[in-house]
Amino acid sequence: MMGNTTRKRAILASALLAITGLFASALPAQAAEVGVTAKEIKLGITSPLTGRAAAVYGKVPGAMNAYFQHVNDNGGVFGRSIKLISKDDAYLPSAAVAQTNQLILKDKVFAIVGALGTANHLAALRSTNLSGRGIPDLFVNTGFSGFADPKKYKTTFAVLPSYRMEAKIMAKYIKDNLAGKKIALIVQDDDFGIDAAAGFAQAGLTFERTIKFPAGGDTPAAAQGWITNTLRPANIDLAIIFATTSTTAAVLATSAALSYRPANGWMLGSVGGDSNTLIAGRVPLAILNGAIGFNFAPDPQDPTDEYVAEFKKIYAKYVPGSTFDLTVIQGMNSAMLTVQALRAAGQNLTRKGLINAIKTKSSTFAHAGFTPLNYSRNSHVGYNGYWIGKYSATGALLPIDGKRTIYTTDSGSGAVKIITSARPKLPKDGLPTNK
Amino acid sequence: MPKKLKVRLSLFILLGWVLLLLGDRVDELRVYQGASIAVYAIAIGSIVLLTGYSGQISLGHGALMAVGGYVAALASYEFGVPFWAGFILAAVFSGLFGGLLGIAAARLSGPYLAGTTLALAVGLPSLANQFPILGGEQGLYFDIGMPPAVLGESFTQYKWFYWIASLAALIVFFLLSNLLSSRYGRTWRGIGSNETAIALSGSNPQRLKIVAFTLSSALAGLSGALLVMTISTASPSAFPLALSLSVVTGAVIAGVSSLKGVILGSVILVAIPEVADAISHQVGDTLRISSTLPGLIISVLLVLAVLFTPNGPGENLRHLLHKGKSHK
Repeated sequence: MMGNTTRKRAILASALLAITGLFASALPAQAAEVGVTAKEIKLGITSPLTGRAAAVYGKVPGAMNAYFQHVNDNGGVFGRSIKLISKDDAYLPSAAVAQTNQLILKDKVFAIVGALGTANHLAALRSTNLSGRGIPDLFVNTGFSGFADPKKYKTTFAVLPSYRMEAKIMAKYIKDNLAGKKIALIVQDDDFGIDAAAGFAQAGLTFERTIKFPAGGDTPAAAQGWITNTLRPANIDLAIIFATTSTTAAVLATSAALSYRPANGWMLGSVGGDSNTLIAGRVPLAILNGAIGFNFAPDPQDPTDEYVAEFKKIYAKYVPGSTFDLTVIQGMNSAMLTVQALRAAGQNLTRKGLINAIKTKSSTFAHAGFTPLNYSRNSHVGYNGYWIGKYSATGALLPIDGKRTIYTTDSGSGAVKIITSARPKLPKDGLPTNK
Repeated sequence: MPKKLKVRLSLFILLGWVLLLLGDRVDELRVYQGASIAVYAIAIGSIVLLTGYSGQISLGHGALMAVGGYVAALASYEFGVPFWAGFILAAVFSGLFGGLLGIAAARLSGPYLAGTTLALAVGLPSLANQFPILGGEQGLYFDIGMPPAVLGESFTQYKWFYWIASLAALIVFFLLSNLLSSRYGRTWRGIGSNETAIALSGSNPQRLKIVAFTLSSALAGLSGALLVMTISTASPSAFPLALSLSVVTGAVIAGVSSLKGVILGSVILVAIPEVADAISHQVGDTLRISSTLPGLIISVLLVLAVLFTPNGPGENLRHLLHKGKSHK
């Protein structure tokens, strides 16, 4: 016979079971991940498609989309095709916020990929709280070192080497080869430039003159002022242009018009160092010839590079008539990394799974960069170094002394090191098969 | 408390309750748009006070919104002031700035005043590029922080924006509707209709105009601070000339002589980018059309409203409703 206590327990247990059952039946079946269906994966990107920055950086979504279309036409990612929704932020932080909100709330994308511009994406990250919402924010198109901080931005992954790294590598080259020379720095006065200045300070490089200007303040008239009022009177030996391509083009084109060249020439930061874009921006080849440049990827004019050859073929097929340049290589490379990350996350695609896949499996990813990817459980750093080159008479960036030396460092106080690293081989037809 | 005031207070509490329920029943996009509607409503309210009542024209309220936005962001970013105090400071400083502007504005009228305020809208936001403390084109970060934990984990940042903006709008419109139905409101309306008559009745039109400009600027500043809250950044690009013109269009559509249509005006302003997006998707050329269409729609709406309903569709709608009531 059942005792009183036992009966009470049984009643309580039944009641609990009934309540649990009731709640369980009321709950919807486990919802599919946002932005993923059986046939499609929706990704989003913000970049300048209109305005001054559009001419160069507006090519990124098209380049990424060309690669995604190539993958889609060859079976997609485990049968799902990738849809890239591209939004124009006109290189303005407020527009980047509005468009990122649209991508998340209206278009309901699975992840943000390749978002462009330091100030723009910083504003978007702060406003939309991608990190807190668990939305993957992959391969941001800026070298701002702050984006690779996994404590602050849990879901954001940098891909480009940071501006601090680049500044430290520039400083090493100058100390090794141009010690005692008078150096000037032309730098954008925002987080982009602040990051670079921190790298130079870390490396202990000081400048004879520093020209800071606000984003958008790089008009030819301003460039003329910098040359005639600052660089020329100070007898500068080497001038570093650490800015976007529009600034580099304005300074170089103006210096050609004024017949000005620092004694040891120009040093161009990678952000503004794409020769195709500079030539399109009316920079005479003669003034570019001999300038020092930095790149982590192959030069778009390199005929021997397998990634360049394959990317060029794909780009010509899907974006006919458009010039193949460094921006295109970087965009397609990020797209290739995205596809491999999606594959590595498996068939049951989740946002958590995608982030985990990048942290744990990225060492197997194929990519065009000459330094290894540095993603791990504690690191959201992508590439961490550069090779140094000189622009040729045709505008190609060729390794200095004919040998591609790879310099790596970190965004902190670590030393600049030379590494020898074998780049992963390009998968057949540029189509990853990783899992 | 007078009966009329009691009824008005009850109505606002009821409206607040409806907004609260609404925020729980719509998706996140609509919640975020709800916050934008509240921001625009306050900005349009400031135009109604200025133009509909005191008869002064401003095409530069975007600049006053920028003053408020930057004050709130500076107070928080540089001095660690809590966000709610930042909103109050935004209204105070914009009001002071507007007061100074009002002294000049009281001496101007018609196209001269419109031109002066327009120049302000063009020039003022770009001043941020001249002073490093204002953060240049990148702007200043304005973070109001995550919603209080007591609201639960599912309470999103967007809902937090919505709650704050809606509460601010409710308080503003409660105070404003009381003010406009008071002696001040009637006198302002008098200035708009016949300034000489008001002067002959013993009031000082110049002083009253300055007060109106000050209050209107304070409201514009508050809406600017709330706008900056929803995008977390005060930057010149957040306050383009198009913002000033949009707010004026919203006020014209709302019916500039009364507060009753402000919601209609602000809903239309928030809906325009959606409509533009839908049209550009239909047409197929998403980039070129979607980036220029919102401006075109706003201009067309303004022209159509002025041509066919000079007092605004909102005003016509109210007349129709009144007619319907009087026929019963």
